[in-house]
Amino acid sequence: MSATVASERIKAPLIPPSTHRYADVIHRLEAGGSMLPDTPENLKQIIGIYKAYAVPMDFYWRDLLYIAERVFLNPLPAFKYFISQEYLDRPNSYAGDQSQLRIWRGGEKAHPELLEFMERGETGRMPKLLHHLWHDRVNMEFAEACMQAMLWHQGMGGRFNDYLESDAYKANADRAIKAYFKGNPLMLGLYALFPDMFLEQVRQLSYTANLGLFWEVMAPVFFEMSDIYDEGGFKGVPDAMDFIVNGIFAVAGRPIYHHLYIGDECYEIIPKSEGFTWLYEAALPYVEAVFYRTAPFRGTKSYNAQAGQVPADQADFHYGILYADVFPVGSAGIPPTLLMQDMVHFLPPYLKEIYREHKRGEEDELVQLGITFQRSMYNVTSAVIQALRCALLYPLDDTNPEHLMANRRFFEAQMDRFLRPEARLPDIQSQNYR
Amino acid sequence: MASILETAASVGVFNTLLAAVDAAGLREALEGPGPFTVFAPVDDAFAALPPGTVQTPPPQLARILTYHVLSGAYSREQLVAEDSWSSLEGAPIPIRCKDPFEVKNATVVTADVVCDNGVVHVIDRVILPG
Repeated sequence: MSATVASERIKAPLIPPSTHRYADVIHRLEAGGSMLPDTPENLKQIIGIYKAYAVPMDFYWRDLLYIAERVFLNPLPAFKYFISQEYLDRPNSYAGDQSQLRIWRGGEKAHPELLEFMERGETGRMPKLLHHLWHDRVNMEFAEACMQAMLWHQGMGGRFNDYLESDAYKANADRAIKAYFKGNPLMLGLYALFPDMFLEQVRQLSYTANLGLFWEVMAPVFFEMSDIYDEGGFKGVPDAMDFIVNGIFAVAGRPIYHHLYIGDECYEIIPKSEGFTWLYEAALPYVEAVFYRTAPFRGTKSYNAQAGQVPADQADFHYGILYADVFPVGSAGIPPTLLMQDMVHFLPPYLKEIYREHKRGEEDELVQLGITFQRSMYNVTSAVIQALRCALLYPLDDTNPEHLMANRRFFEAQMDRFLRPEARLPDIQSQNYR
Repeated sequence: MASILETAASVGVFNTLLAAVDAAGLREALEGPGPFTVFAPVDDAFAALPPGTVQTPPPQLARILTYHVLSGAYSREQLVAEDSWSSLEGAPIPIRCKDPFEVKNATVVTADVVCDNGVVHVIDRVILPG
């Protein structure tokens, strides 16, 4: 009897259970888990959608950098989505044998499935211009909407935004603008008349570069996760989350910069020497702006700001994927729909099979994959939460109750953000939410 | 009396920190008159970080390192009198606990090592901004 009590004492937790509404989720996080329950189907769904997300993302990051570094302030950027061969072939810094830190074992150039889709689209082989006009292409508008969310919300940690207001940045941007419009008296005249308007456009392009550099990392992370899963490598959802946590730390210090190329000449608008990092200046602001906040999308629902239906404080915005009602897709070309439409082209067969077996089968595939995407982003957010806990707080197996309580307060504060009724955290706890 | 870096080199448990200071090009600055307060993580603290965390280019590495430095020489007694201090990196360093002396999520294992150009407090974890 005493031996049993002793063992119970040893096993007894060092702190009392949480009384938070999401106590179950908090206890799972404290045990090293994810907000997403650890089930084989959840693992299959999230890995499948990571793969389907990574293929268009391979286009997004390349074209974002192409726009930031080459298209720049082109006043009629009609061809900004017609990425150059150079950027399509640009070696990913984290894929292939040439990379210093290889995350994905595959090739460093654009993914073969992406190239095949760019060639044929849904309609068939035809000139690039016709694919573009028919909108049978990768929806770069989604990537730009994410960038604009980052630009608009600003001030979400890191020092990037402060730098965009600094005299050093203004001087760098001024040099770049004057070089770009050299020999163009009309644009230089407009610049002299409306300098702030041009500067604000350059700031937007700096966020374009920022997001491109962020996604250059995430695409190989997701490709590698898909390959590991195909080889039977992940045992559960926490394994998949841990892979992302390790990835976050491995690339946390990647420089975030904005260079403009005019011919072979490079103008450093944000030099690497400013010390901006992938984690603080790109990843964390991205998660905050895109997963949590964004902005109400026009076309699906009317919001009355005067009736308080839109928060007065930007920090309270809750229109990101973690809160999204995925059902009204396909109605207005809203950014999430554009992403769903991009991902549907690259679903692995096992995910298509799941969708065929549930709800209305292929008829509502976009809705089902949207909810899968929501599950997968709750897992990515869990990875970010665990990475922050690891960096700023204490190990999960710390033996000091004070430290464990500090971890508890952090997890509870994170879960407070999902107390509002729009949050989908309760929904994703069940497999029936499809 | 020795400088901060000379003192750290003589102890033998700050090899990673000293290598990182050199890699980030901060040696000259830290050998200056200061004075500085340095929270110095031991080698084991760097080894406990997830792989790759400090394998970054010099300007990015310098941000992590300067987060461990305050401008001015402050003893434990002075530090615990405030809730938070502004690091050279710019981000605040919270003082979480006075006894035991905890700086952010690190515990100070040896406080008040007085040097020529400042004070060193030895910590058991690398602290990160955020």
